[in-house]
Amino acid sequence: MFKNGTDNRRAFLKKSLAIGGAAGTTMLASGAGADTPDPLITEIQDWNRYLGEGVDSRPYGMPSPFEGDVVRRDVAWLTADAKASVNFTPLHKLEGIITPNGLCFERHHGGIAQISPEDHRIMINGLVDNPLVFTMEDLKRFPRHSEFYFLECAANTGMEWRGAQLNGCQFTHGMVHNVMYTGVKLKDLLAEAGVKPSGKWVLPEGADASHMTRSIPMEKALEDCMVAFAMNGEALRAEQGYPVRLVVPGWEGNMWVKWLRRLEVGDQPWHHREETSKYTDLLGDGRSRRFTWTMDVKSVITSPSPQAPINHGRGRTVITGLAWSGFGKIDRVDVSIDGGRNWHTARLDGPSLSKSLHRFYHEFDWDGSELFLQSRAIDEQRHVQKTKNALRKIRGENSIYHNNAIQTWHVKPDGLVENVEIS
Amino acid sequence: MSDNKLVVGVFAIVLCISHNAFADAEKGRAVFAQCAGCHMVGEGAQARFGPALNNMVGQPAAGVAGYDYSQAFKQLSKDGLVWSDAELDAFLKAPMQYASGTKMAYPGLSAEEDRKNVIAYLATFTATDQPAEQVVDRKETENTIEQSNQSRPLARDAILPEHGVLHLGRIALPEEIAAWDIDVRPDGMGLPEGSGSVETGGELYDAQCAVCHGVFGEGEGRWPILAGGHDTLEDERPEKTIGSYWPYLSTVYDYVHRAMPFGNARSLSHDDVYAITAYLLYLNDIVDEDFQLSRSNFLSVRLPNEDNFYFDDRENEENYVLSAEPCMTDCIEGQARVTRRARVLDVTPDGD
Ligand code: HEC
Ligand code: HEC
Repeated sequence: MFKNGTDNRRAFLKKSLAIGGAAGTTMLASGAGADTPDPLITEIQDWNRYLGEGVDSRPYGMPSPFEGDVVRRDVAWLTADAKASVNFTPLHKLEGIITPNGLCFERHHGGIAQISPEDHRIMINGLVDNPLVFTMEDLKRFPRHSEFYFLECAANTGMEWRGAQLNGCQFTHGMVHNVMYTGVKLKDLLAEAGVKPSGKWVLPEGADASHMTRSIPMEKALEDCMVAFAMNGEALRAEQGYPVRLVVPGWEGNMWVKWLRRLEVGDQPWHHREETSKYTDLLGDGRSRRFTWTMDVKSVITSPSPQAPINHGRGRTVITGLAWSGFGKIDRVDVSIDGGRNWHTARLDGPSLSKSLHRFYHEFDWDGSELFLQSRAIDEQRHVQKTKNALRKIRGENSIYHNNAIQTWHVKPDGLVENVEIS
Repeated sequence: MSDNKLVVGVFAIVLCISHNAFADAEKGRAVFAQCAGCHMVGEGAQARFGPALNNMVGQPAAGVAGYDYSQAFKQLSKDGLVWSDAELDAFLKAPMQYASGTKMAYPGLSAEEDRKNVIAYLATFTATDQPAEQVVDRKETENTIEQSNQSRPLARDAILPEHGVLHLGRIALPEEIAAWDIDVRPDGMGLPEGSGSVETGGELYDAQCAVCHGVFGEGEGRWPILAGGHDTLEDERPEKTIGSYWPYLSTVYDYVHRAMPFGNARSLSHDDVYAITAYLLYLNDIVDEDFQLSRSNFLSVRLPNEDNFYFDDRENEENYVLSAEPCMTDCIEGQARVTRRARVLDVTPDGD
């Protein structure tokens, strides 16, 4: 059935190309008057007549087959092995603020551990009154909470420090996702074990082959960290740490330890590999910042963008994008179409939640000339995005992490879009 | 639960007579977890979204009576396809390419080993020697056990622990804590008893690490580099290694012990890790070839870059927080001109 549909559409495209001679562009469905009747309207289509599949043909529903290109993608040359690697969320194809579970970018250090919830244990040890072991069933008997949070890898946009590199917001900004987590508060778990007064740090550890660890200060652990077992209403996906992961709102994604199996309380940080060799920010003078946990205020225009060119020609045009900040809510996003000469405050749409993605729109009439699109977000604590040059001036080009600079997309007169830097 | 163990025993015997000596049916069983959402195997297996997969290997394709195969699969059957190991391998590698139009909406198993193992596993469900377990659906078996089990303990008999606020979980035993508490800190906390020499470390390193990290720690291909890079941190392309960048030696011990060798983590003994850590110091010109590292001299070794790290001070950066309203009109003079373009234009794979 679907197959027929596709064939039909191809046939139609061919026909209309022949009729309109549209010179290889896809500017078909524009408002210009039609000379010949549209066969999609005048002819009875297969799907108008034949029955589709019944209920239960897909016990777990999947996206329409026409959305087959909306997938996570990787950049193979970035890392040596797919089991310690990363792929990217297709931001250019998403709407609203929620990332569907199957499209949340992945970052693993030892592949995707497959752990049966019955075999999973969570231990709390170290500077506590009672070291404890929980099963997943025990965990679900603590009070449960649901919260929306973005998770951004500290290396998101990291390839762009030395200059424009990757052509597509999926690749430049796609190491972020935003879902509703359900789980229990870390502070409730810690209270059950009883943290000793000398306990100032928490070390979460994963059960996968990388045994991921990070040091988290106790204030943060008690403030808003969660131990989550569900995302967007269903169990965590295996690649997001099923059966349970840590949620560290607003802080770099590497700290959100997946397959969480242990929480140790200590009086000092551990300085493990992911907070020394990695996730430290090397600055121009050869010295490095450590413990740069908070994800800075940031935004990106997701459409138009290199993977989402303008196909409709001049006239009414919608610019949309995402903004977020590890410090709280987004106060406002400004959009420029002339490379930062003039700015227009965009319309924030949908829920505005702390440490969650925000959706913005700017609608305008495009005259068909070239555009330099930029967005600049300001959060509720007045943190603001800088230009790439301003950020490089302060931090050099070797930071890898925490690049929250303003992104520029060049829209050409034919509607194609490229990742550029400008004067 | 004890029934389950028995079944595993029977299953193991079946494995011993498995026909393919190279493939590992027991590993295939783990791979099958990816298939189990759609397929059942074993006695009493029924169709789910996909057909039951008993008697597959060596049998005609689309042969399960009563299962409604896709047109694509009906065609394979008409063409007389038989599921040999090789055909199954090709199919499982990329199902949707192998049989365009198949209902098996599954991307495939890219690792050859996984395919071989899962095929070996399927082969254990042929004709006579089927294990008596309905392996796939642990949940379902459990439910039936639970329903038929009259002696389910009564809720009121559950023992409530005394600890904590909500009385949840149980006290961790010392052996359990010892098994999992493997972390090591710069002050030496967590370092176990043990020692190892540069010499032994070199042997271990050459055998277990050099394939990826290079004989001199220079990194083969894109695998991480572990040695060298001194005085490069201000260069255009800094080389961040244990010797040039890492602040603490304890991190080397901790990380190698918890995560390396890649693909066989937690296989090294304490003495092995001391020896390899000593060898990594040697590769970074920090100790001599006759050096021996142990718990007692560990803290005397310092890495050169230790003092060059400081706590996050981003908030002191200029304009990190807005001091005035940002400019809205005529903010920059002249028209925007492109100064740099994306260097990698072809990262977006077309279509699939
Ligand atoms: C998303 C559900 C799904 C998953 C996951 C899945 N399959 Fe299938 N499989 C099917 C369906 C549906 C068919 C029937 C194909 C058709 O009719 O087009 C099938 C057919 C098959 C066949 C051929 C059956 C026959 O009678 O000829 C084999 C063998 C098979 N699958 C093995 C596997 C293995 C091994 C895995 C895991 C690595 C797997 N499948 C994962 C749904 C799935
Ligand atoms: C199969 C390839 C492979 C082998 C063999 C291997 N490693 Fe690794 N090693 C890796 C990968 C991949 C990473 C990075 C993992 C990640 O990013 O999470 C890594 C990371 C490391 C690091 C951290 C590097 C850094 O800059 O942060 C050290 C140290 C290390 N390995 C030591 C060892 C030692 C010692 C051995 C032998 C006992 C070993 N490795 C064997 C692949 C390998």
